[in-house]
Amino acid sequence: MNNLTVHPLIALLLFPGGLFLLGGGLFYEWIDRKLVARFQNRLGPRWFQPLADLVKLLAKEEITPQGVNRALFFMLPVIALASALTSALYVPIAGFVSANSFRGDLIVTLYLLSVLTLCLGLAGANTMNRFALIGATRTLTQLFSYEAPFLLALLGPAIVTKSWQIMTINYYAQQHLWMAITQPIGFVVALVGLMGKLELPPFDAPEAETEIVAGAMTEYSGRGLALFHLGKNVELLIGLTMVAAFYLGGLANPLEFLAKTLGLLVLLTVLQSLFARLRIDQTVGLWWRAGALLALLQLVVVFLLR
Amino acid sequence: METQRKFIVPIGPQHPALKEPGHFQFTVDGEIVTDASVRLGYVHRGIEKGAESRNWTQNLYLFERICGICSHVHATALAIGVERLAGVQAPPRAQAIRILMAELERIHSHLLWLGVAAHEGGFDTLFMYSWRDREIVMDLLESLSGNRVNYSVNLIGGVKFDVEDKHRDAILRGLDTLEERTRHYLNVVTTDRTFLARTRGVGTMSREQAELFGTVGPTARASGVARDVRVDAPYEAYTQFPVNLVTDERGDLMARFVVRTKELFESYRLIREILDHLPAGELTVRVPRKIPAGETVSRVEAPRGELFYFIKSNGGEKPERIKVRTPSLCNWASVMQVAVGHKLADMPMILSGIDPCFSCNDRMVLIDRGSSAQVWSWDELRRYGIEYYKKL
Repeated sequence: MNNLTVHPLIALLLFPGGLFLLGGGLFYEWIDRKLVARFQNRLGPRWFQPLADLVKLLAKEEITPQGVNRALFFMLPVIALASALTSALYVPIAGFVSANSFRGDLIVTLYLLSVLTLCLGLAGANTMNRFALIGATRTLTQLFSYEAPFLLALLGPAIVTKSWQIMTINYYAQQHLWMAITQPIGFVVALVGLMGKLELPPFDAPEAETEIVAGAMTEYSGRGLALFHLGKNVELLIGLTMVAAFYLGGLANPLEFLAKTLGLLVLLTVLQSLFARLRIDQTVGLWWRAGALLALLQLVVVFLLR
Repeated sequence: METQRKFIVPIGPQHPALKEPGHFQFTVDGEIVTDASVRLGYVHRGIEKGAESRNWTQNLYLFERICGICSHVHATALAIGVERLAGVQAPPRAQAIRILMAELERIHSHLLWLGVAAHEGGFDTLFMYSWRDREIVMDLLESLSGNRVNYSVNLIGGVKFDVEDKHRDAILRGLDTLEERTRHYLNVVTTDRTFLARTRGVGTMSREQAELFGTVGPTARASGVARDVRVDAPYEAYTQFPVNLVTDERGDLMARFVVRTKELFESYRLIREILDHLPAGELTVRVPRKIPAGETVSRVEAPRGELFYFIKSNGGEKPERIKVRTPSLCNWASVMQVAVGHKLADMPMILSGIDPCFSCNDRMVLIDRGSSAQVWSWDELRRYGIEYYKKL
């Protein structure tokens, strides 16, 4: 038990939840954008660009299109961001003890992380826009394809640890050999699953701009768009934290947290710039033919060797 | 009732996938496209009409502005036609410089297309790299002519500038880099698995279809149709510097990538040959200000295919009529046919597969539905043609 603890109120508002998470999300978005740009031989944005985008979007007029359920239209981005922020309470952000931890919080966290995608799907289906409708269909189709393999990939470490509590798995990982080495398939599936979850290239069919403009988010402007983007950034940070805590030997202190999550992020950016966009049917095919089966295989191996 | 239940995805006139305005309607069933239609004409500029109020020299500048990508080839088509009417021929050195520029322009156009098509498929890395390398040839074009887009190479009766030794060295150096990069791109478009998943077997057009729809240029050649004005009817210096035709039998998007990439190699080879055997001599000949009355057809191979000019002079300082038919217009029909049955996600790539150019093919068409109109069947038209020529 070598992790540090913080006061609950601080945990909620400043660290690890709240402000730190928002700042961290923006920072990771910048790293992501900058690295992809460098890999593509571009200059990339300056460090404050994600924050500048956020401020600009928040200052813009928000247009509510005709024919939408106004309450839903208004609430969905808020719920998406809130659930992403809430899930941070159960993961060892920056290597500190998670603010709230109970048995089975792994499942709760995974579902909280999926709420963002569900909100996106609903947001697209809520509007009359045809691009948004197709985007919503694709978002939800993609949700059904990566979610199960991603879940299975994160269950592998849980089964080895014999606990469904994220902090317990984190401690276990710290004391044992990296699970990325003992469960390599699970690691790959979890990492690629995270890319599917965040709709990063090549899994960006739900928001493929050359086909369906911005997908489910087409009708969002100003505040709603800003909150959705922020939610995704936060989810990127949390997703990386979870994969690092499970597969890269746990997160014991801030330094380890930075090194491991940033290392994963570099891997993600390399993958992002390597491939052409997959069609939605190719995404589904890939996940169910390869991803799910591989994750199951990994799970079977874990069961047998336990 | 059935028509109301159709789900139509409109692409354009304003859409991130389109760099120029055009309107496409894809009727989809889920992700599958069941019907496609196109509407053009958003960027009609009245250039053909404008030509009638400008003199021949002014028109050279006007027609160069039809297309921002293949500007040189438009001016060349006009210059060749007008020279033919005037009964003069550009000096050999000028002819060689014209096709040298045309090939440099083809390189820049094909590299630009490679980037755009990759971007439509969500492969932004290839997009960024190919456009970075395109800058090499853009710099070469700029160092030769002083301009990046409208090079203004042609005069009626010759060219404006000479290719000197320093240009020659710069071009050869640039070509070496480009050739190495192109080899890499050919490797990428033929071996990258995610990219092949988006291009192989997508948008396949058989040889019969390609001929039926009247496709031209690389689009036709990717379906195995051996059609290239540079080979079929060599103009200017292409008679001394023959072009090897690049064709591919597969007819899908991958074939279009392969054909265009291989054409780059052909252009590199041609440019090197031209630079090695650049004829000496004058750059211009004198052309009268008034062009003798008559009409002519001028055909050249633009990067996108056959470019057709009909030029009619009434013996004055200004043309009576100039009709331009650009290659994109010939290729549109194929897109609308091929699109049906594919996934919506493939549409941007199939669209960009013909390397479309919108503003150059927008025309004003007036359909007179008055009683004087006559509708002829194909047989009647054929009979009329036979009798017309018998009378001559």
